[in-house]
Amino acid sequence: MNIKITHNWLMEYLETDATPDEIKRFLSLSGPSIESVTKVGDDYVYDVEVISNRIDYASVVGIAREAATILPMFHKRAELKMPHVVFPEPDNDDQRDVLEVIDPKNLCPNKYAVVMEITVGKSPSYVKNRLENCGVRSLNNLIDITNYVMIETGHPCHVFDYDRLKTGKILVRKAKDGESIITLDGKNHLLNSNDVVFDDGTGRIVDLPGIMGLQNSVVTDKTKKIIFWIETNDPKLIRKTSMRLGIRTLAASINEKNPDPEAAFSAFKKGIALFQKIAHGKIIGKILQIGPKTHKIKSIKISYENFDRLIGVKIERSTINNILTNLGFKILKKSDSEILVEVPSYRVADVSIGEDLVEEVARIYGYHNIPSVLQPPAYVEQPKDMEDLFVFQSKLKTFLKHLGLNEVINYSMISKQMIENSLLRTEDHLKLNNPISEEIEYLRLYLTPSLLKNVKDNEGKKDELRFFEIAKVYEPRPNDLPIEKYHLIITVNTSIEELKGMIAALFEEMNIANPVFENGNHEFFDKNIQGEIKISGERVGTFGKINPEIKRRFGITTDAFVGYFNFQKIISYYKPFKKCQPINPYSTIKLDKTFTINKDDTYQSIKEKAFNKSSLLRRVEFVSFFENKLTLRFYYSSTSRNITEEEAKAELV
Amino acid sequence: MEPKKYEDEIKQASNEKDLDELEIKYLGRNGTINSLLHKIKEIPADERKEYGQRVNQLKKDLTDLIRSQRKNLYGKSPDSYFDASIPGNKFPKGSLHIISYAVEDITRIFEKIGFIRVSYPEIDWEYGAFESLNMPKNHPARDDVEASFIDFPENKELGKMVLTPHTSNGQNREMRRVKNPPIRMINISKCYRPNWDATHTPMFHQFEGLCVDKSISIVHLKGTLDYFAEKYFGKDTKTRLRPHHFQFTEPSFEVDVTCTVCKGTGRIAGGKCKVCKSGWLELGGTGMVHPFVLKEGGIDPRVFSGWAFGFGIERVIMMKYGLDDIRNYYSGDIRFLEQF
Repeated sequence: MNIKITHNWLMEYLETDATPDEIKRFLSLSGPSIESVTKVGDDYVYDVEVISNRIDYASVVGIAREAATILPMFHKRAELKMPHVVFPEPDNDDQRDVLEVIDPKNLCPNKYAVVMEITVGKSPSYVKNRLENCGVRSLNNLIDITNYVMIETGHPCHVFDYDRLKTGKILVRKAKDGESIITLDGKNHLLNSNDVVFDDGTGRIVDLPGIMGLQNSVVTDKTKKIIFWIETNDPKLIRKTSMRLGIRTLAASINEKNPDPEAAFSAFKKGIALFQKIAHGKIIGKILQIGPKTHKIKSIKISYENFDRLIGVKIERSTINNILTNLGFKILKKSDSEILVEVPSYRVADVSIGEDLVEEVARIYGYHNIPSVLQPPAYVEQPKDMEDLFVFQSKLKTFLKHLGLNEVINYSMISKQMIENSLLRTEDHLKLNNPISEEIEYLRLYLTPSLLKNVKDNEGKKDELRFFEIAKVYEPRPNDLPIEKYHLIITVNTSIEELKGMIAALFEEMNIANPVFENGNHEFFDKNIQGEIKISGERVGTFGKINPEIKRRFGITTDAFVGYFNFQKIISYYKPFKKCQPINPYSTIKLDKTFTINKDDTYQSIKEKAFNKSSLLRRVEFVSFFENKLTLRFYYSSTSRNITEEEAKAELV
Repeated sequence: MEPKKYEDEIKQASNEKDLDELEIKYLGRNGTINSLLHKIKEIPADERKEYGQRVNQLKKDLTDLIRSQRKNLYGKSPDSYFDASIPGNKFPKGSLHIISYAVEDITRIFEKIGFIRVSYPEIDWEYGAFESLNMPKNHPARDDVEASFIDFPENKELGKMVLTPHTSNGQNREMRRVKNPPIRMINISKCYRPNWDATHTPMFHQFEGLCVDKSISIVHLKGTLDYFAEKYFGKDTKTRLRPHHFQFTEPSFEVDVTCTVCKGTGRIAGGKCKVCKSGWLELGGTGMVHPFVLKEGGIDPRVFSGWAFGFGIERVIMMKYGLDDIRNYYSGDIRFLEQF
């Protein structure tokens, strides 16, 4: 979350010779990140990023506190000024009980309330300008005061129309399931029993405390009497309600992060003073302050050695003590080896372990003052399966690139449409809850739908398309995380021969001895043009021309040929070399022969027969294939003598 | 032998083949010179010396003639002009995805300082993505890390099934795998968050560094970040740490790197640098591993300490090459892909 504050406003709490630009620069290095400083009129606006644990600096006071500690480290003069706000002495004459507050379950530990007669109107220009510079719309002096107080002190507060409340009573309770409210922005919300509400004693809900006011009790331009109100909340309940109802006001974002309970009282004093000053406020009746006056005190013990160990340089003990003191920590005890510090109220929610103190000291000391050295080397063994996965991915990706393929990375999620177009079943896939788009609703079980979409989307951009992708697919398992497997897909729109050649080249590159290509019958492919690839009897992949129905569904007008592999399986067969053997000094006889191909006499079976028949056969080479006539070249040789052509002919299949 | 005849013959040879034949005819094993030398026995003894000298002179003349004619022939291309600018045979040129190059670079850079790349699930339980990283349920810090959940029965102990919104789920898994530090991990993986606009894609890549050992400090984190920045972005690249907050580190930082375009000056060609505005570009989040996270990983934080970071790969590519429309990365458009 970000907040905006102005320079002139900050200077009410800070005495410094630093310029706005220096404040931005130095604070960003050691404390709050100030994303920008912009000149507006005679003032400057700081846009401050408030990180989730530092709600204490989401205010003018908070930034002043940080600046007072940080700027002197950059040799700038800086001192915190805390203007003394006089708490109004209760008027002895008027101790009427004009407001009754009941909180039987103590849902709001601290409650501050005062009823005042006021004059509603416009805010003075300094209030109006500051608010608008900080991105808050100025409405009327009553609402403006609550916003002004929140930005200045960091604690949200609220103003009710006393007369519209009718009963002079506020009952803090949990909502009942099904109760509904209309917030002051006119929206209807349905509540449940986790939500905390204010009730006027008659069962009518008048506020959603800590989050947003309601239409039925908000001040109007006819308001004569107000209740100025501040409570502290249970941050977890605020967060639950605010998230569920989707009401993300600044007040809710602050209240869910444990704001300083002591800031609530400062805000109360500041608010009353402002009502008196700019709304002719006059206190009626008793001022209510309910709840503990002092807050939980937290102290942390840490050894100095721990600062050295985590920061990596030895910082003077006195410097450590000074930094902590300047940040508001109280040193309760110290020895040569350790200190015990008390955490200031505004840091109680954030600082709880020794490491938190290390961070405080290190950032103020200045990260730029800490040296930079690599850690000493250490050997950690990489698990073999992980190493293989990355080494082969890298090798084979480069190889496929050199075959002329373009690597694509697609989303791991695909649409229902893509699954159905591929004749797959959505119910086999993992599905996202509330996907942000139906294009990314299901986790991929196969890479094919994405690649077919790639072909379709690129038609017209380039004639010949050649893609590959290596990525994980997610196979659901009952009661467990899915199995994440790497698949490899090659998709071209050119020809089955080209695809087949690429697959063969890939296997050759991996020195996989005898991959067997058999005709297959996978529904995904055209039933006449497809095959399976086996290594040592294990199926490792399939390839073919896609089924014409799938092609039609994807709207592909060219063609699509797909080679598909279980990546982890094929890499398990990788060999660095095929075989390392001496060069045979004896002559080789080459013989060509032409065969007629049919279901029983395939290239694969002829080859097998030829090798079975002859121990002199070294190699079979494909020469040509035309109208079912397959011409092959056979290489015969002996490793012990020269053979004759006649001998070789006798060996021919 | 008439000088004129052989001289003409050699000078008229118009190609290397003819010249080879003449060389054999005169200088070969059964050529003119050898047969003249064989005849020396028939020459009267007192003339032999002069005869020998003449044959040798002839041999030298022939050798010179042939050599010079060979040179002439090399200089001449037979009929056509060789145009050196005409393309040769066409070989295929494919491409790798730009992410793959970055993954390779990052892996190699960290390998050199002893970091091993690991692979952990992209789909994990809430415990791995959040609780083990000190982000309990309903904690406001979860706002900063939106995640997509899977429609799957919740696990009683480990929570809902989630698409990992960062690579940090690898931290707990690596600690549990290694058991006893040292740990030097680099975890590169796809990550997922439910955002899809000009600057966000629902899938992206992160790389996560984790170093746990005795006496690991901010000094070492700074050393590693400076090392990475110099190797990846180039020499003279500087880094700086700014305070930040992450639930799984304490202290926590945001790292900035000097802008590669304006070299950290914030100004270019007399104006403000449009890439960085101030000389610095935000790289990502880092910090010292939170003792809770070490404990959850079964490591004693009183004995060991560590640092961790998680940076976006798309982000470092953007910073290095200025490729800023990341939606192109995953659109599969061939015109984008084939550039790399």
